[in-house]
Amino acid sequence: MLHRSRIDYQLEDRFDLILFFSAFFLVVIGLLAIYSATLHHPYAQGNFQKQAIFFTLALGVFFITYFINPGMFSYLPVPTYSLAILLLIAVIFIGKKVYGQRCWLELGSLSFQPSELAKIGTIFFMSYFLSKEHTDINSIRDIVAALMIGLIPVALILLEPDMGSALIFFAIMLALLFWKGLDIFSIFVVMAPGLVIFASMFGVAPFAAALVLILLILIYFRRNLFLSASIFVLNLGAGFIFDSIYKILSPHQKKLIETFIDPNADPLGSGYNAIQAKVAIGSGGLFGKGFLNGNQTQLRFIPEQWTDFIFCVIGEEFGFIGALITVCLFLALFLRLLKIASFTKEKNEFTSLVVIGILATQFAHFAINISMTIGLMPVIGIPLPLMSYGGSSLLINMFMLGIAANVYKNRKQHA
Amino acid sequence: MTENKNYGTEFRKRVFFYILTGFFCILLSQLFRTQIIEHEIFDEKSADNSIKGIVQTPLRGVFYDRNYKLLVNNKPSYTVLVSPSTYQKRLNPIIETVLGVSAGYIDEVLANNIQYSKYIPVRIQRDVTFPAIAWIEENKEELPGVSYMVEMERAYPDSISASHMFGYTKEISRKQMDEEKGYYDMGDFVGNNGIEHTYEKYLRGTKGVRYILVDSRRRENGRFKEGKNDKESIKGSDLVLSVDEDAQKVAEKGFKNFVGALVAIEPKTGEVLAFVSSPTYDLNNFTVVTPREIWKKMNVDPNKPLINRATLSVYPPGSTFKPLCAIAGLEEGVINENTVINCPGGFYFGRFFKCHGGVHGGLTVEHAIEKSCNTFFYSLILRVGLDKWADYAGRFGFGKKTGIDITEENRGILPSTQWYDKHYGVNKWTQGYVVSLGIGQGELSVTPVQLAHYVAMIANNGKSRRPHIVKGYLDNDKKMVPFTFEETDAHISRKTMDIVKRGMFLVVNGAGTASGAKIPGINVAGKTGTAQNSHGEDHAWFIGFAPFEDPKIAVAVLVENAGFGATWAMPIAKSVIEAYLNKPVKAPVQKDIKNGGKIIAASLKN
Repeated sequence: MLHRSRIDYQLEDRFDLILFFSAFFLVVIGLLAIYSATLHHPYAQGNFQKQAIFFTLALGVFFITYFINPGMFSYLPVPTYSLAILLLIAVIFIGKKVYGQRCWLELGSLSFQPSELAKIGTIFFMSYFLSKEHTDINSIRDIVAALMIGLIPVALILLEPDMGSALIFFAIMLALLFWKGLDIFSIFVVMAPGLVIFASMFGVAPFAAALVLILLILIYFRRNLFLSASIFVLNLGAGFIFDSIYKILSPHQKKLIETFIDPNADPLGSGYNAIQAKVAIGSGGLFGKGFLNGNQTQLRFIPEQWTDFIFCVIGEEFGFIGALITVCLFLALFLRLLKIASFTKEKNEFTSLVVIGILATQFAHFAINISMTIGLMPVIGIPLPLMSYGGSSLLINMFMLGIAANVYKNRKQHA
Repeated sequence: MTENKNYGTEFRKRVFFYILTGFFCILLSQLFRTQIIEHEIFDEKSADNSIKGIVQTPLRGVFYDRNYKLLVNNKPSYTVLVSPSTYQKRLNPIIETVLGVSAGYIDEVLANNIQYSKYIPVRIQRDVTFPAIAWIEENKEELPGVSYMVEMERAYPDSISASHMFGYTKEISRKQMDEEKGYYDMGDFVGNNGIEHTYEKYLRGTKGVRYILVDSRRRENGRFKEGKNDKESIKGSDLVLSVDEDAQKVAEKGFKNFVGALVAIEPKTGEVLAFVSSPTYDLNNFTVVTPREIWKKMNVDPNKPLINRATLSVYPPGSTFKPLCAIAGLEEGVINENTVINCPGGFYFGRFFKCHGGVHGGLTVEHAIEKSCNTFFYSLILRVGLDKWADYAGRFGFGKKTGIDITEENRGILPSTQWYDKHYGVNKWTQGYVVSLGIGQGELSVTPVQLAHYVAMIANNGKSRRPHIVKGYLDNDKKMVPFTFEETDAHISRKTMDIVKRGMFLVVNGAGTASGAKIPGINVAGKTGTAQNSHGEDHAWFIGFAPFEDPKIAVAVLVENAGFGATWAMPIAKSVIEAYLNKPVKAPVQKDIKNGGKIIAASLKN
């Protein structure tokens, strides 16, 4: 890069251009899609303007966070985490009910989801705990303590009940523990019940297969017999837990799981969205039908397409090329976050863990959302970060990226 | 735990990297499969065979009169629609000519009706003539984006107008749609006033849905699963009105050349038998979108036909209020039936209040009502006291809404000490203000429906029920399910009521002011009144009930600018009483209605 001017070099060194511009263009593409999905819509017509205003605010949040003194971050974990827990308790009692879930807190005309704050609070607090000098990641006691930090908000969020957000927390917990250095066997122990629960959704045979797989892995690791046996029994139990979890789910969510297993069972009900989403994307072809010309989008086959199903608009109107560009921008963003996290792993473990937590949050949202949109997962109400309509979520996401940009800027000063 | 050292940051970073890029590859391959390899399949699916639910608008409930005569029905009419996505503007002139509308009409309608999708057809005109529809059908190949459909509209009787009572339906506004989120769609008709408004929830029925397969241009490709998932719409409930068509017809005829209002009530039940606000307007102008010229004409008409005079206009009740003053005096014990008050032709209280008709001499309360002696009631109200008098007026429903089942009602003005203090200031008014109230003049003002409710209560010895136009609705088996209306009870002794009613009997049958109201074979009781009008000729009142022995009908009539009550108001009341009572009694014929509202529905389906 010798031909570069000196000023350019300095800017790139202090400001992560890839991180910023990939996020910037993702929001812009999202705005186009929101515009298309709400054009002439009887009540969502103003959403494009609202989102554009929030984008301006979010840019402000990003730059304030970027310029902040990095020392400030070490004061945040305990207050944000405790505030988030308080709000999560509050939302159970005074939250606004939307589609059978109590996720929203209303303050005058503003409403936001405390689970959004809980994500950042949990990332901060768990990173803080894991990066403390005396924490030994391979002592059972500290692993359990770290898990508790994540499981308290999960339990509260499951009471709303909001299964989608709870999934995000599992991704955050797993990513942080792994990044801290949890050994492979422990990772397996932590993950296995999740795998068993997932498999048992599909019936007895996949459940049995998962158990056999766990048995094989246990034999491979050749730990003491008592430990292996208890882990196996634990997983066997986990399979039955699914049944009881299934019972506390709202009818709406049960339906979502049922339709995932067979989307054609109820083409007019919950399977409808899954089918229509796939049709919208598939019919887009290589170049798409053109902006404002997607008939699936313009005929409003998918309700509230500007929220969770925003990717369909891109797939239909901008085609494979548009989808590819979007996905590449996300990949660039994620790889950037990973790089920033590795820069500071040795110098400042706390910020490194925070950035990994941010990566996990963004990636989990992205992966779950896109998977459900293109039919790889059941329809779970999770927005596509930076793109779906939603002011508070855009603000939180840009705040998170602002932290990452700040860590990048100060990566050499950390001691 | 030594192995942990083998898995350092570099390894963990690589795991993350592989997860990210691995997912990226899965995603790309899935996108490639759906968008490139299977593109044709999905393109075809998107182009046709999309399932779309089409809302089926139910038939609106119809109205029957108290004898189950069909009053308001539904009739099919043609509506022309345009789909903005395929319509070509070059067609504007020819279609505007065929529909008989002015140039630029279609552009205007399209601009005012932007839907959330340009593929949704917009109604251009309702109630289109059959030749125009035939022309569209013949030329449909050359008319892309133009279509028509059958919709139902209201069919009104020829015999009566009853415009203010029935009310009309109107295309729903965006504001109304937001208030009632969930039920209504753009283009739906919703009850806008009168019975259509009050009983909207009964009349509108339940919407159905038909699932059809549509292509990307919303062309139908047959039904989804042969209609197995369809839901039939359910017709709205039919209403049974308490109104008597014959009485209503006669009442409207009586007002042909007059401005005013009439309300007739069955005293025991509060059921409204006839309800007129004159001038009326033609409801047929409201079945579809009302032409602007008609709106304009009605709004500039000095007689204001859109105002419901029966519930909204207020007038001083004049001498029709004398019986109330008598009731207060008798109940409070300040007079009894034998108390005589002398009329020297007027009454001096601060100034001279003139009586009409010269010197009446000594009168008991009965004869004071008969002769409508002002002096008697000037004196009486002072003996009773303003607030006691206002208490009795309140018991008969004055100063508050009667609660009749059509919206927008005026509560009128019922003065009391509190009221005067508020409007003139404490100690800024005198008992002289009160004197006029005794003969129903002054600040006191009432609506015709209040006065009708009052005379109904007098007729039924101080008790009636909340006035109402709708008796009930017909259930699925065509059985009438009655609505209930609260009792109104002034708690007046039977003795007092008998004295006052006798006075009102003498008004018609003695030496009173309304001997012209006599009907052979029926004993009528009543009272005339003149409402002073500072803007012009006085307004004429008549209240009455019959038969005297067991009242079946009570009526209040107001004729604007008609002077003395007996001249113009009384004959109208008389004709309504006669029309209602003097007709062959017949049991309600329930069997007729089994078909009534459904004939059109059946023929429509073919």
